Amino acid sequence: MAKISNQDIAKSIYRTLKDKTGSAYSLTLKNIVNFLARRRLFSQAPDILKKLEKIIDEENNAIRVKISSVKPLGTHLKHDLIKALERRYQAKEIIFTENIDEKLISGLKFEVGDEIIDLSIKNKIKKLAEHLQ
Amino acid sequence: MASHIVENLKREIENFKADIKAEKVGKVVEVFDGIAKVSGLSEVKSQEMLKFEGGEAGVAFNLEEDTVGVIVLDDFSKINEGDTVTATGKILEVPVGSTLLGRAVNALGVAIDGASPIKTDMAYPIEKIAPGVITRLSVSEPVATGIKVIDATIPIGRGQRELIIGDRQTGKTAIAVDTILNQKGQDMICVYVSISQKDSKLRKIQARLEAGGAMEYTVIVSAGASEPAPLSYLVPYTGVAIAEYFMDQGKDVLIIYDDLSKHAIAYREISLLLRRPPGREAYPGDVFYLHSRLLERACRRSKDYGGGSITALPIIETQAGDISAYIPTNVISITDGQIFLETDLFYKGIRPAVNVGLSVSRVGGAAQIKAMKKVAGTLKLDLAQYRELEAFTQFGSDLDDATKKQLERGKRAVEVLKQTQYSPVSLENQVVVLYALTQGYMDDVAIEKIKEFEEKFAEYADRNAKKFLTQVRENKMWEESGEAELKKAIQDFKTSWPAQKK
Repeated sequence: MAKISNQDIAKSIYRTLKDKTGSAYSLTLKNIVNFLARRRLFSQAPDILKKLEKIIDEENNAIRVKISSVKPLGTHLKHDLIKALERRYQAKEIIFTENIDEKLISGLKFEVGDEIIDLSIKNKIKKLAEHLQ
Repeated sequence: MASHIVENLKREIENFKADIKAEKVGKVVEVFDGIAKVSGLSEVKSQEMLKFEGGEAGVAFNLEEDTVGVIVLDDFSKINEGDTVTATGKILEVPVGSTLLGRAVNALGVAIDGASPIKTDMAYPIEKIAPGVITRLSVSEPVATGIKVIDATIPIGRGQRELIIGDRQTGKTAIAVDTILNQKGQDMICVYVSISQKDSKLRKIQARLEAGGAMEYTVIVSAGASEPAPLSYLVPYTGVAIAEYFMDQGKDVLIIYDDLSKHAIAYREISLLLRRPPGREAYPGDVFYLHSRLLERACRRSKDYGGGSITALPIIETQAGDISAYIPTNVISITDGQIFLETDLFYKGIRPAVNVGLSVSRVGGAAQIKAMKKVAGTLKLDLAQYRELEAFTQFGSDLDDATKKQLERGKRAVEVLKQTQYSPVSLENQVVVLYALTQGYMDDVAIEKIKEFEEKFAEYADRNAKKFLTQVRENKMWEESGEAELKKAIQDFKTSWPAQKK
């Protein structure tokens, strides 16, 4: 039998919990914890949770964006960015994480999953250095 | 002058437009023994070249559900957990060009001979599908190795793959180096691929090739024993990519892989580190494909598709003469024949220590020149009969005259086929000597005098059998007039040779 991956476990947890509420929900949660304990999978829990989060985001058509900038972003800019990102990724919801990184010198850097759009001056200087070599 | 440089730089910076687009990146999850596990990189292709944060190069090798197994081609100790990895969108390629001739490069095509950096205009992917059936020609032109026993009994043709197999210290590399040395003036480019060899050995070979004037048409590609396994795994593919460049220029190329057993070991190391399931002798399941796809790239291409050829001489080291181990049997089945070297013969003083009985060339016979075919046909028979009868001589029983004669002929044949290292013999001289042997002209020469006879006679024939030599050189076969001249030369030489008079 093939090895059960964390992705498989996360998928099954999502499916079993999907339509449940109230006491049925708590009971299922308890069963899941029991299952993880029986299979000795607690060490894998953080990874399974991360995968579960991803599955929920996909279902809800939401994306998580980490924006790095030198200064905190203004409300207007944030609003515009959300609109632009919604259009680009055709997502219903944008979950925002802000990060202050002074090393960028100026500009913004977006991280969406494994995609990076680096519009910072630091990156431009790096590209220029590569070009001049 | 300085202001000029500043002005140029200023213009360059002003005209620079940073092309910034969305990039797929990954993060290093773990790194060990030349292998990195990277998360992310969702759209990476197999064998795609990757760049680590510190500029180190890597190749995507294992595409798994959440991670990518990457083989690191530089110093992996500088890579840290959490470093970003970017995909380049390119399959691994190496720079190629005629400037590589005379140089020694590593698996990534970077000069390692201490001379100036190599400038080339082109790059070739290291993995390529081998030429198809339609584009190929059958093997019909010889590769002259300059080694009598090989050219006479195990001939190699251009586009052939001939395995050199034997235990350690039996002269495998010597045959390869001699073959390269003999390619001078034969319109052949040589690529010597050194896989996990000691740097001292490589330096020795390079010095020998330089001394013989062979570096002018040779490229050395090397991954040393101290370099990580991924480079040893890549280096034969780098070599063949360079060979393909020269073939695409319509040239004939000879490539030597020294040696493929170490290549298989390097691949086994990578595979086990990447947790691929081990099979026989702990090699992964695709170790046959590893070598078959490499050696299949040796070919002779038809003129309509650009011509040129790649002749491959892979080397395999056996353990205690065991040719039935996993890798030797694999490579024997892939190649078009093998030259089998034996320790026993080597210590008996028969060098090159080729076991003529076990060695074969499956296609080279078609490439042998007519003259050589004629003399070597009876030579093979002489040797086979000699081997068969040799066992009887151990009993010391009385033998009839015919048997004695055969034994004597065999002994002389073995003696004639002995050859010292770095002394290649031209094809026409080989024909002359073998003619004298097979026609029985050496039967009355004492065995210990055979070498001297051969040497002096070759010199004599150079002066006195010019017609024969020219006919063989130009028409690949002698005519009656040439043969008569040679016969006369042999008889004259024998009467004048002082050792014979005794």
